[in-house]
Amino acid sequence: MSQMARDLILIMPQIIVLLTAVVALIWEMFRKPLGSLLALAIGMLAAAGLSISRLGLDTTAFSQTFRIDVLNHWSVIILCPASVLFALLARRELRGTDREGTVYSLLGFSTLGSLLLAGSGDVMFIVLGILMNSLSGFALAAYPKTDKATEGAMKYFVYGSVTGALMIFGLTYWVGISGSTLLSALNDSTLPPLPMIFGLVTLVVGISYAASIFPFHFWTPDTFEGAPVSIAAFLSVIPKIGAIYALAQVAREIPTELLDWPLMLAILAVLSMTFGNVVALWQQNIIRLLAYSTVAQAGYFLLGVVAMQQSSLAEQSLVIFGIAYAVMNTGAFAIVLANGNKMEDFKGVGKSSPWTGVAMTIFLFSLVGIPPLAGFAGKFLLFGAAIDSQFTWLAIAAILNSVISLTVYLRIIVPMYFQQDASDKHTNSRLVSFVWLCCLFFTVAVGLGMQFFL
Amino acid sequence: MEDFSFPILSIIIFLPLIGALVVLFTKPDQSKPAYGIGITSSALSLLSAILLWIRGVEGSFSQVEELTWIPSLGAAYRVGVDGISFPLVLLTTLLFLTSLIFSTKIKEKAQTYVALVLLLETACLGVFLSLDLLLFYVFFEITLVGMYFIIAGWGHEHAKKAALTFFIYTLVGSLFLLLALLSLYLHADPHTFDMREFIAAPVLKGLAAALTFWGFFLAFAIKTPLFPFHTWLPTAHTEAPAPGSAILAGVLLKLGAYGFIRFALQMMPEAFREFAPFVMVIAVISALYGAFVALAQTDIKRMVAYTSVNHMGYLVFGVAVAAVAGNTARTQALDGAVLQMVSHGVVTGALFLLVGSLQDRVQTREMANISGLLHTAPVLGGLFILASFASLGLPGLAHFPAEFQIFLGGFSVYPVAVGFIVIGLLITSGLYLRAIQKVFMGKKPEGLTSRDDLHAYELWALIPLILSILTLGLFPEILLSVIHETTKMLGI
Repeated sequence: MSQMARDLILIMPQIIVLLTAVVALIWEMFRKPLGSLLALAIGMLAAAGLSISRLGLDTTAFSQTFRIDVLNHWSVIILCPASVLFALLARRELRGTDREGTVYSLLGFSTLGSLLLAGSGDVMFIVLGILMNSLSGFALAAYPKTDKATEGAMKYFVYGSVTGALMIFGLTYWVGISGSTLLSALNDSTLPPLPMIFGLVTLVVGISYAASIFPFHFWTPDTFEGAPVSIAAFLSVIPKIGAIYALAQVAREIPTELLDWPLMLAILAVLSMTFGNVVALWQQNIIRLLAYSTVAQAGYFLLGVVAMQQSSLAEQSLVIFGIAYAVMNTGAFAIVLANGNKMEDFKGVGKSSPWTGVAMTIFLFSLVGIPPLAGFAGKFLLFGAAIDSQFTWLAIAAILNSVISLTVYLRIIVPMYFQQDASDKHTNSRLVSFVWLCCLFFTVAVGLGMQFFL
Repeated sequence: MEDFSFPILSIIIFLPLIGALVVLFTKPDQSKPAYGIGITSSALSLLSAILLWIRGVEGSFSQVEELTWIPSLGAAYRVGVDGISFPLVLLTTLLFLTSLIFSTKIKEKAQTYVALVLLLETACLGVFLSLDLLLFYVFFEITLVGMYFIIAGWGHEHAKKAALTFFIYTLVGSLFLLLALLSLYLHADPHTFDMREFIAAPVLKGLAAALTFWGFFLAFAIKTPLFPFHTWLPTAHTEAPAPGSAILAGVLLKLGAYGFIRFALQMMPEAFREFAPFVMVIAVISALYGAFVALAQTDIKRMVAYTSVNHMGYLVFGVAVAAVAGNTARTQALDGAVLQMVSHGVVTGALFLLVGSLQDRVQTREMANISGLLHTAPVLGGLFILASFASLGLPGLAHFPAEFQIFLGGFSVYPVAVGFIVIGLLITSGLYLRAIQKVFMGKKPEGLTSRDDLHAYELWALIPLILSILTLGLFPEILLSVIHETTKMLGI
């Protein structure tokens, strides 16, 4: 078998996702949105299935530029099914609108961007991934053609182009000093530190934008508020996990003797967690509240990245928290889609539709990190990884933040159970219920059966 | 994996949970089937605990059950019982049963209420029986969620605020517990969550041990609670419904005390020995502070709540004594501390239930507005007087043998501290006598007749507790013999 054929087989999941997005686009040309949706569902599940069968395989493709490793496998297994869930939510929300099929196709392309990010062993893949991710994101956010959506998409776009340009500029320094675009070429402690720092800082800027990490999260609340709920849910999960995994791939290679990047990322993590949680405290709109909560959750992810070189728990923690974050966040957004995005819409939900209330409570408790839910499993490993790499203070900061986040999420839970007057206008859609039931299942299952995901 | 044929510990732990799941499928508008199922499942749990006693509780961990859970992390489902955890299991099953019987008057959303109480029972039993750090933590956190909803959903006027304070305070505590557990885990080689290994061979040394110890201390001091971490307790107790207060004081506070023994004392004896003077000072202050503040209360429920701070002071003092004392004194103090956990559970549980009955009858908790209840409710009054005498440590009642042993053990190590702490006894005697005089003596209240005395369901709930108070006071040896089997083995 030639080298080329081997490489192509190795990146088969990514190729399947690409073809899926293209097929979805073709169905859209015939104006058959259901065909697009079906194509997306089949293709994505096939890619995820293929990656599950490959777990344990650890190699690289295309002369080390693309990594077939744990993070790559799991990004496919997490993000591809998640994108189907988002498509189902979008089906409920955007059904019958113009060019519905393009939404499904764009979901596919954006997901592909995240998959490329998660497996990148080369700066070019990072650039390509971020671009695919955000270009499709702009279009998705602007889809409803309302003023708010346009404003949100504009902010997303402007921030994205500035941070993206900055990142590409900074990465040229890396290529310049190492003479290669490979990330592994950076693992050399004789490289001059200054250009190294510059490249890393700009890379962090680009990644932080995609993962909405403070202080590059500015687009997040406005874009989420303007975009359809399903798209906001999508933007909160898919680009974030892809970007964080890319950062983890980079973090593996940068020698700590050259610069103290773990400390830099640790500070960023604390800022992101604290800012997200504190600002979420006084949001009146649940979408905005969840937007700031995703900023905070991105901070928790960084704990795993910080520990990347020093703790054996780091990679596991990123995987488990990735699954947990995807399911609990998607579930919470799905219920917001069914119930409405104002605080008042949640009054008395616990009484009028008990199952929705219980599910939302479970998602929010999971976001806090209360056992035995998935969020706990993830945070537990993240804290462990941080302590293991001598960042106990970071774990303590993360823990204090969990307490603040409890107050944030209780602001949604309390009205559900302890306030009367349900407006009772929530839409009971089978698709949406299916989505949050799936999420609920995994939120509990990952918490109890963590072993299966390690 | 000895004796896996009959997993009695898992049965004890999960019977209430099964009950909770069954309750969810009853008709929501009827409270009778919900209570029927609830009372049955917790009664079965109590029976299983008694059965466990008959099968025999040994000094070291026995009846161990082990199932793989997360092998790659070294965590497993491990449960086992010894002389320290067994009395608490007995207490938990008894107190939950009586609290559920007492709750039958709560008709509003009865189904959810019963399910939550049963969930809480499973969580508490799980905490006491876990032999795995991760499993322990999981159960420990579930207790918070259950109690939060019970206080917020069925409490009095400021229930939501009290519930939030409770949740946030104790979550801070349990997160520090998580850090401490992680620190233990990461220092073990190979990594494991098996508590028995940490008890057999303490792994931590130096700075790591000190930090971990204070992590444990913070977690359990908030839970217990000790001064100055007690501020969540009075509001939570006062706002919770009567059975909720009984469970909170009777069982949940013991999670902290149990943690002090199991983690701080057994897993890091060196660090505890080093810091015991600090712990002791805080315990003495707690005992005195709790007594003085209780003396200043006009609300009878708050008064009882603050006496818990006082009693927890004695208890932790006993544990701290055990960390530094020689063999005899250590065993004495530790025996006393474990017995005190049980006696405080039944005494304070009974007191809170009685205060609940009292509030139902006179619609107030202000002692100044109540008088002469002994005329119209002689049984309630009589039982309250008995329980408060037990609480102030009268010989022949539950607290006496426990406190006596704690003081006895402490006297050989820190006689001055014992001198101070005994002042607490004096003050509690004063405040209880004053409360009895105000509430039960004096002129006959208007609008109440002797038909307003305790109802049958209240008696069914209270009599087992009162009997336990008498039994523990007169024949403490029944439980002490079990406790002693374990405490004498702790060669710290």
